[in-house]
Amino acid sequence: MNTAAIPTNELVRFAKFFLQELKPRGKWLTPFNVISIPVILVGLVILYFRFTLGLGAVTNLSQQYPFGFWIGFDVMTGVALAGGAYVLCFVVYVLRIEKYHSILKVTILNGLLAYIFYSGALLLDLGRPWHIINPIIGNSFGYNSVLFLVAWHFLLYTGALFLEFSPTIAEWAHWEKLRKFLTSMTLGTVIVGITLSMLHQSGIGAMFLMAKPKIHPLWYSEYIPLLYFVSSIFGGLAMVIFEGTMSSKIFSNLIGQKTHHSHNDIILGLAKGAAITMFVYYFFLAFIFMHGEKWTLINTSWGYWYLVEVIGFVLVPCFMFAYGVRNKRFGVIKTAAIMTVLGVILNRQNVCLIAYNWYVVDKYYPSWQELTVTLMVVFVEIWVFRWIVTRMSVFSKE
Amino acid sequence: MEYYSYINIFETKGLAYLLLLSFLVLGVLLIRYLSGPERKDAARKRESDSTNSYEGF
Repeated sequence: MNTAAIPTNELVRFAKFFLQELKPRGKWLTPFNVISIPVILVGLVILYFRFTLGLGAVTNLSQQYPFGFWIGFDVMTGVALAGGAYVLCFVVYVLRIEKYHSILKVTILNGLLAYIFYSGALLLDLGRPWHIINPIIGNSFGYNSVLFLVAWHFLLYTGALFLEFSPTIAEWAHWEKLRKFLTSMTLGTVIVGITLSMLHQSGIGAMFLMAKPKIHPLWYSEYIPLLYFVSSIFGGLAMVIFEGTMSSKIFSNLIGQKTHHSHNDIILGLAKGAAITMFVYYFFLAFIFMHGEKWTLINTSWGYWYLVEVIGFVLVPCFMFAYGVRNKRFGVIKTAAIMTVLGVILNRQNVCLIAYNWYVVDKYYPSWQELTVTLMVVFVEIWVFRWIVTRMSVFSKE
Repeated sequence: MEYYSYINIFETKGLAYLLLLSFLVLGVLLIRYLSGPERKDAARKRESDSTNSYEGF
């Protein structure tokens, strides 16, 4: 359906409807609002200084440390934890396991917002953010650069996620014909989305292949792309468990009875998937460790830190998931999901920041401004998520 | 004169093979552990279904 064909009065109706929908619903004085509004306001002031005075005014970045907390947390970690969207799309549309259909829309929405906000946060970290368009418009394409692949994939995948979610937007706007047309495109979009995701999740890891001398040997491997891809699967699944648990409590009035009842069954399935993937990931790490003959590195402070990540945040949550699934202990599964999410965050911070330039004495620590802006990005995403789910039919009403 | 040489598993990739074997064995055990109780339930259900179907004849 061509948008130009939509009559003007329909656009006027939509504009009025949209303005009506912008009005806040519910109470204003909630704990979340009280905490998030000041953080967002302070974050906006910091961003003003960042864009007027430059990166040096608000960050601790230097020539030694070109990647800071904004890249390490927002882009690297945010994209990995958004992996739940492509994993669930694969499970529902390719493997045809229908029981996860009820949480698909909300997972896609989470993925879409994560890509918009977290990969969008890349703009904050680039010294000359207006150059971000270069890989797209053909100015210095850089075919040999992994960043070229990542840039195109981020753009295309965000578009694919938007198309996957667009039937819900059309339904909300009462555009029935458009909704039917967009729904008919879902399968094709999903297949493109899964393909793009698999490539750029590993592509983000591939960017570190050129930094071999800078990353500590315990974290550097030629298999980083594979590790990033596999960890995005269980990281995404753990995030879906965590977000699903939070949503089912906070937005319980928006969720149908049947979905509420099937929630535990869905969590068990996701936990099972996470346990198996983490088990595979753990053995990948063991193979890489052995192949690289890194035995001598273990009995050092870096080695102990590596073991904290690998055993504490991979092996232990893997066992916890397995135990939780077997004994139907949902508290254990939810704790394991939080540990897994923390583990993925820790891994990305290790590769990108902590074990990066590990030999340098003058280490990088994020400034309070960097931390505040990161928190602001997370809070704004939650605000947008809340606005959408309270207006559109995101949660299953069944 | 024959000399005996001991195989060093660190030099011969023996350790990698052992790790691979343990991965395969533990992988099977993990999947069995994860699907354990459900499998018994399913078997019981299948058994009762088959008994019921014979009652019809």
